[in-house]
Amino acid sequence: MTTTSDAPAARAGAPRAWAKKPGGSLGRYLAVRALLIIPTVFILVTTVFVLMRLTGDPITAAQGGRLPADQLAERIHEAGYDRPILVQYLDYLGGVFTGDFGTTLSDRREVTEVIATFGAATLELAFYALIVAFLVGIPLGRLAAFHRDRWPDAIFRVGGILAYATPVFFAGLLLKLVFSVWLDVLPVAGRADTRTELTLSRGDGATGIYLIDAIRTGDPAVLGNVLQHAILPAVTLGLLTAGVFLRVVRTNVISTFGAGYVDAARSRGVSERRLLRKHAYRPALIPIVTVVGLQIALLLGGAVLTETTFEWKGLGFQLSQYLQARDFVAVQGIVVVLAVIVAVTNFIVDIIAALLDPRVRY
Amino acid sequence: MPYPSNLRRAAFMAGIAASALTLAACSGGDSESESSASAGDVETAESIIVGTTDKITTIDPAGSYDNGSFAVMNQVYPFLLNTPYGSPDVEPDIAESAEFTGPTEYTVVLKPGLTFANGHDLTSSDVKFTFDRMLSIFESGADDGNGPGSLLYNLDSVEAIDDVTVVFHLKSENDQVFPQILSSPAGPIVDEEVFAADALTPDADIVAGNAFAGQYVITDYDQNNLLSYEANADYQGLLGAAITPIVDVKYYAEESNLKLDIQQGNIDVAFRSLSATDIADLREDENVSVIDGPGGEIRYIVFNFDTMPYGATTADADEAKSLAVRQAVADIVDRQEIADQVYQGTYTPLFSYVPAGLTGATESLKELYGDGAGAPDLDKAAATLEEAGVETPVALSLQYNPDHYGSGSADEYALVKDQLEASGLFTVDLQSTEWVQYSKDRTSDVYPAYQLGWFPDYSDADNYLTPFFLTENFLGNHYSNPTVDELILAQATTADPAERAGIIEEIQDTVAADLSTLPLLQGAQVAVTGTTVTGAEDTLDASFKFRYAALAKG
Amino acid sequence: MTTPAPASSRRPLWARVPVISHLRQSIGLQRGMLIVGLVLTGLFLLTALLAPALAPYGFAQLRGPDGAFGATQPPSAEHLLGTTQGGYDVLSRLIWGSRTALLVIVVAVVASILIGVALGLISGYFGGWLDRVLVVIADAIYAFPSLLLAIVLAIVISGGQSSMWGGILAAALSITVIFIPQYLRVTRAEVIRIKSEAFVESARVVGASHARIMIRHVLRNSTRTLPLILTLNASEAILTLAGLGFLGFGIEPTAAAEWGYDLNKAVADVSSGVWWTAVFPGTAIVLVVLGLTLVGESLNDLSDPRLRKRAVGAEPVEDLLDPAHATQEASA
Repeated sequence: MTTTSDAPAARAGAPRAWAKKPGGSLGRYLAVRALLIIPTVFILVTTVFVLMRLTGDPITAAQGGRLPADQLAERIHEAGYDRPILVQYLDYLGGVFTGDFGTTLSDRREVTEVIATFGAATLELAFYALIVAFLVGIPLGRLAAFHRDRWPDAIFRVGGILAYATPVFFAGLLLKLVFSVWLDVLPVAGRADTRTELTLSRGDGATGIYLIDAIRTGDPAVLGNVLQHAILPAVTLGLLTAGVFLRVVRTNVISTFGAGYVDAARSRGVSERRLLRKHAYRPALIPIVTVVGLQIALLLGGAVLTETTFEWKGLGFQLSQYLQARDFVAVQGIVVVLAVIVAVTNFIVDIIAALLDPRVRY
Repeated sequence: MPYPSNLRRAAFMAGIAASALTLAACSGGDSESESSASAGDVETAESIIVGTTDKITTIDPAGSYDNGSFAVMNQVYPFLLNTPYGSPDVEPDIAESAEFTGPTEYTVVLKPGLTFANGHDLTSSDVKFTFDRMLSIFESGADDGNGPGSLLYNLDSVEAIDDVTVVFHLKSENDQVFPQILSSPAGPIVDEEVFAADALTPDADIVAGNAFAGQYVITDYDQNNLLSYEANADYQGLLGAAITPIVDVKYYAEESNLKLDIQQGNIDVAFRSLSATDIADLREDENVSVIDGPGGEIRYIVFNFDTMPYGATTADADEAKSLAVRQAVADIVDRQEIADQVYQGTYTPLFSYVPAGLTGATESLKELYGDGAGAPDLDKAAATLEEAGVETPVALSLQYNPDHYGSGSADEYALVKDQLEASGLFTVDLQSTEWVQYSKDRTSDVYPAYQLGWFPDYSDADNYLTPFFLTENFLGNHYSNPTVDELILAQATTADPAERAGIIEEIQDTVAADLSTLPLLQGAQVAVTGTTVTGAEDTLDASFKFRYAALAKG
Repeated sequence: MTTPAPASSRRPLWARVPVISHLRQSIGLQRGMLIVGLVLTGLFLLTALLAPALAPYGFAQLRGPDGAFGATQPPSAEHLLGTTQGGYDVLSRLIWGSRTALLVIVVAVVASILIGVALGLISGYFGGWLDRVLVVIADAIYAFPSLLLAIVLAIVISGGQSSMWGGILAAALSITVIFIPQYLRVTRAEVIRIKSEAFVESARVVGASHARIMIRHVLRNSTRTLPLILTLNASEAILTLAGLGFLGFGIEPTAAAEWGYDLNKAVADVSSGVWWTAVFPGTAIVLVVLGLTLVGESLNDLSDPRLRKRAVGAEPVEDLLDPAHATQEASA
């Protein structure tokens, strides 16, 4: 590695040089970063394609218990799953580039339609969960920081860890037991009652986001029903994220409190309380933006289990159903969409990080 | 109202023994007149909600071959022949008559003036279209390999003579199974003006085209989430009009959610599937009724005649010793313990290949193995092995699949392993493999002995014999017995019912002596309803078709 | 390790061992949290090591001298925590299950750290196209559904067979793949940050070799943020194993005991009043993850000078607070 021995030193200087002229370099950085989304998605599509083929074909999954081996092979041949994988891959890529993600194998639907329908549900759940996470994580994180190393701090932090440590299906089960079975105040599962769901789906121009559809019906009973169903899933998924928010807020409030400019403000005679509110708390919120971005990916991951537990029929729920059916067309489609969402979010997070701290750029 | 509590008792009794299952089916048939009579006087609810964990692949008959999709088709499509409530045997449904008019000619005459719910005429042309379409989609692979076309193995061509007369030209003569096939997943009649001839028709188009002519039509279709049915006034078939005008069906993914919702009264009927623990718990619940009916599902162990201990391709191949090993397993297995401990009575011991409730079913294995009364007999197993000169303990590899036949599989096979090892005659290497790999391995001689399950395509003993025990069978376990081959072919073409039942019994006895597979359990169909819901007992019959039209809420 | 090292000005060697040094540094509640975490983790390790001695029955035992245990028996003298729906003793499977959990954690953590940190060091230190490629791949993996990966690995590793090592490796390696990018990101970020700082430059001026710089300075400083990820990694390994069990890719119950598998099979029972089959394995998972995370968080705080509450010298933050204000905030 002797030939590259000088490279690190040269490179170490580079970011600073960029930082000196933020206008042009930021533009270039943005462009490079945006272009990187393409290979990211491409790698994912390819990997998922290959991996899904390794797990077996959907025909064996569906008919393996009924058909003799030769008939099974014949069926697989008729459907074209025994063609060379490269041919199938190019075939698939060709479809994707023309916006055709194909038709799912296990329930015969257009993948684009699946994504639109169930994406709306996932979006809605993620929205509720973020609200819960904000409402719980940020104030408690702040409180924890104020009472640092005293009991409230310990309780909130352990609470945050517990929220993370409990498997989603276990937490969901306990919540269901307490609020649905024993107290009988909240519904067990689903996004709305059967009747409500029928009302919503029959409405003109239904968006699939029940909150919006329910508001448009103007019927408080429908809206109430929809919100009731949202509480347990939102709390389950929200608390998972709230724990992360709590930790970040606490850490950042504490560390900005020790920063130089806070000392400076203090020496100007700013009250301690104002100091905390204005000088330590506000700057501490900035990293939250970054964390929220990163949490989108985790939210989508957590959504798989939350959605399954509460029968919240969104993308995560469907993904686990399709996985079990070895429906590679559906899995590929959903994974591509998730990948694009995460890649774009990462992109935005990096941009914000770059704006905040020029040293990050590379 | 004493009716529900009587029913609960009857249902509970039915769960106890397989023989009682047939009784339940019969009594279900009796009570049909009662409930439909009372439906006239007593005011019944406008709509009911059914919950299920089924999954729909597609409601296009040419594109799916699974329970969940077929459950929907049974509500909305007409069949030429169908099973009436309470019976496993087929009768004309929308047909006026159906009979063999020649050795390879099966002629069906439709009732006159039939229409689909959308107003299109239902004629012989639709029938011909239906079966031509099914075969052409199956052969072209346009169904992505999912269709039930393989059931039409004996159909050569369909001919429409006039508006109401159709002739099916068959390949082999006097096929007694063909009428059953017309009631199977290959049999729903579709509208030629809505369905495409050589490609699957999207579900949305079928619903939009209102191409239904069964007891119900679908008005709202949110696949695998929520379906809304409305009674079809134009249906003139065998089953009669639906009692409840509107049925909404909610689809669940988790059994426990379905259980909690029926328990809390959020839905009126829960059908397929609830876990054994849930059903046991619901039996204790005052607010719901648990209804048992005979089930067509069977669970069994397959022996690979090549690779099992002393099998044909093993180093120490010996047919007699290999048979002794199978017999010893049959002597040791305690079905009742499995049914009670693992399935809490939702499965019952199965002592033959054709499950109880179907015409021709026997209990061939009961007398042959164990203590002769269904319980195990370890001494007999030891004697059998010793007589054949088999060294004990026998090392047996046993495979099961944890994700296809329900979550009880793991416990079921752990118990089988435990029973075999407790005898001191076997050491069992128990392994499990995920479904797709499992399906490939089992036909490639990888597993010496393994688990399988079976849901019938139609309610006839033939469906439990032909696919399994002909030399060319779907098990691929190298079992071959010319006598059995002959008998199976004979029963399929024997027109006289009594004579045919006799042959079917003989087949079971013969295979029971060979032990190609070892039947273990038969599933019961269990529905859970609110206490004011009636009619579930009428449709939980040996046709294995759950018809919403029988349900009513008082 | 109780003999003090002979070094004169340095603290004794045993006091510089990571966890012990952290424990000595800590005070008050921070110390309390660390101790609770250590106790939970210690109990877990002990149970795993002593499983054969502690468990009353084998993990796949269905009958004792008096015949079969019976399914879903409530807790009793013979079965302190009852039996499962399959007829196993809950307590025995709980104890044996700690072994499986430990194995998964060890394999997952060791593999992730080795590969992730190494790639992070290389990527951050040398930069260039290699760095970019690694970052792009890491981003891509970040968006990958871990469940899918775990399933595929389960099939590839063991041909879909639910053997003990098949299950352990599938869970551990899929978590490894998911966590490599996290170690990579953290290590790489620290490397880039530290690389430009004065002491690395000075080390270079003194003539230290690349390897020496990397190991002595960069690596040591980078690993400051690792404990948290490490414990997350361990926790995720347990949770993934549970998830695999849920989908039927877990470990065959007669091959090894596994909490996630038992919990998933028991979830359906809870709604029928059979709580003991779910609550105990569920609680075991929660406690182990809690213990690990408490240790990780505490170490993280103690390693971070901004967050560390030092025993002597510096003023802890809340000492600056007006007590009256503090109570006001709490009640608000």
